[in-house]
Amino acid sequence: MPGSGKSDDRRLGFKASQEVVVVAISIALFVVFSATLNNFLSQGNIIAILKNVSILGTLAVGMGFVVVGRGIDLTMVAVMVVGVAFSIWISTWGIDFTLAVICGAVLVAAIGLFTGVMVAIAEVPPIFATLAIASSVYGSGRIVFASDVLYAPPDIAWLKFVGNGSVLGIPMSVVIFGAVAALMGLFLRRTRFGRLVYATGDNPNAARTTGLPTRPIIVTQYVISALIAFTAGIIMTGLVTGIDTRLYNSSLIYDVLLVVVLGGIGLSGGQGGVRNVIAGTILVGILTNGMTILNFSYTSQNLIKSVILLSALAIDAIINPRDEQTSQSGDI
Amino acid sequence: MKIFKKCLLAGLGALALLGAAQVASAQETDQVGRAAYIDGVKGKKVIFVPISQGMDLNQAWVMVWQRHAARYGFTLEVRDPNGDTNAGIRAMQGAIAEKPDLIIVQNPDVQTYARLLKQAQAAGIKVLQVNMQSATQTDSYVGNDWIEMGRLEMGELAKHCTGPNAVSHKVVWLAGVQTGAANIYMRTGIDEVLKANPELQLVSDQPADYISEKARQITETVLQQHPDLCGIMGIWDNAEVGAGAAVAAAGKQDQVTIVTNGAGAATGCESIKNGLLDVIFNFNAPTQGEIAAQQISELLQHPDRKAGSEKTIFFGPITRVDKTNATGRNCWKPEDIK
Repeated sequence: MPGSGKSDDRRLGFKASQEVVVVAISIALFVVFSATLNNFLSQGNIIAILKNVSILGTLAVGMGFVVVGRGIDLTMVAVMVVGVAFSIWISTWGIDFTLAVICGAVLVAAIGLFTGVMVAIAEVPPIFATLAIASSVYGSGRIVFASDVLYAPPDIAWLKFVGNGSVLGIPMSVVIFGAVAALMGLFLRRTRFGRLVYATGDNPNAARTTGLPTRPIIVTQYVISALIAFTAGIIMTGLVTGIDTRLYNSSLIYDVLLVVVLGGIGLSGGQGGVRNVIAGTILVGILTNGMTILNFSYTSQNLIKSVILLSALAIDAIINPRDEQTSQSGDI
Repeated sequence: MKIFKKCLLAGLGALALLGAAQVASAQETDQVGRAAYIDGVKGKKVIFVPISQGMDLNQAWVMVWQRHAARYGFTLEVRDPNGDTNAGIRAMQGAIAEKPDLIIVQNPDVQTYARLLKQAQAAGIKVLQVNMQSATQTDSYVGNDWIEMGRLEMGELAKHCTGPNAVSHKVVWLAGVQTGAANIYMRTGIDEVLKANPELQLVSDQPADYISEKARQITETVLQQHPDLCGIMGIWDNAEVGAGAAVAAAGKQDQVTIVTNGAGAATGCESIKNGLLDVIFNFNAPTQGEIAAQQISELLQHPDRKAGSEKTIFFGPITRVDKTNATGRNCWKPEDIK
């Protein structure tokens, strides 16, 4: 076996430390903002923070799942916008919106399946495969849909509930994010399949040699991440009544990746979990919320965000210097 | 006697007309100047470099121009960089190298194409800018008077958020892209209104980047800080629906007035009817497209005029649309224009 008990411990330590750094920065920011900003600590604002990161967080759970298996899914934002836009588009032909959403989910799963096959069977490196597929998916969408912005039909009760409803005072968008995260956490930690994902991510060749079905595992990962992206898209449609396909051109996919890496899921795979994603998401959420309240200009917001995120990575690099034990082949 | 005179005149007039008609049918007289006009525009090449063709206003313009081009025999090519500034620069460079008769450009910001537009003019290519201006002035600009737009929108908020009955004097400006012409000039108009109404309090000034989810997030956060917020003004109806959604989620639709501008597409009217937006200052993109089409004809008809020798500006109409007039021509659909 490639990983002796000792190196496993080291990896565990590495993972925990980066997470700890991020959590510590989050707590520090939280304390500073609570002390200096009016209403920051109010219940309403805490819920607003969670609501504002629910889409980012949901996407990051899907991305984290793929990254744990030593993959990367740059198609997520493209799949999210095109999948939902497709559902809205076919609903304009008179198809029931709920049925249209199911059709959209099927399309999205098919895209995920194709991506998975390209990565697992055609063995195209995931970063290139997903970059190219993202572009094709978005491009096809641009040809099919006349407009960038598509509005969902106005009278869909369940969609309104996703946007405005709440359970025990918690907005549905946060509940869905929480549910996706909890399910993924349980799936990764408690199921055999979840453990196989770690094994594949840690050392794909060893996993394959020992007889694990690595190819089906990888394909499944991309199908699931595509469906999670679609879920995030549905949350967004519920929140703002429509979907803006131009989000593909925004930095959202990099923000998602950043949340994952920042939280401590190494791009080399096999480490980390949903907890790391949540740590990264919360840090970005607190930071954005505080800076919006402070009414910082866009440029200074980006600057401060980059500096804090970079320092989180730098502190981790100092505490946990990379060596032959911690860095693996395939690390980007 | 008077009646007799009138009858005689009418009779003579009718005879004259009849005669003229006969002459016309005999010689197939052309409409005065038409031949020269068609000769002027036929076979000419026009290239349009938009910000992105996915936006409602762009679709309206191009539909109008394509119809115009098809009727009078010039070509219109759209080089869509799809929101990517680098692709836009390449598209502009490519367009200049091809030496078309006219380049139409919608600038992503005031600087990016400024030098390229100078180059184009120096190369003898006429340039028409639509709706989003560059720092470089060229032959013609057709689009919004953005300073007036800023004035109108903040003026609308001033109506609601000053005086004894206002819930508060707190207003929000949800900007677009801060380097864009619309943003820069609207800000000038906004500042004028703020200066004239010193009690108005601008509590947040954040760019939503023309993305509805971002507008929603900013509004959600600001509403937590300022539960007594009175008004929000934005820059594009399709983005401000996000602000409307946040206000609706907070149950403050009666309290917060949301004002924005837009191309006048039916989706904007729907947002007013759904209660997500209160007022849209509608710049009617199809009409804007027709004004630009007139400019295309003018610029193509006079190849003798040197590029950049005459600089003209045409501001399009702006209509205030709310619940009472969100119908008919204020709410166009793409299929209406075809």
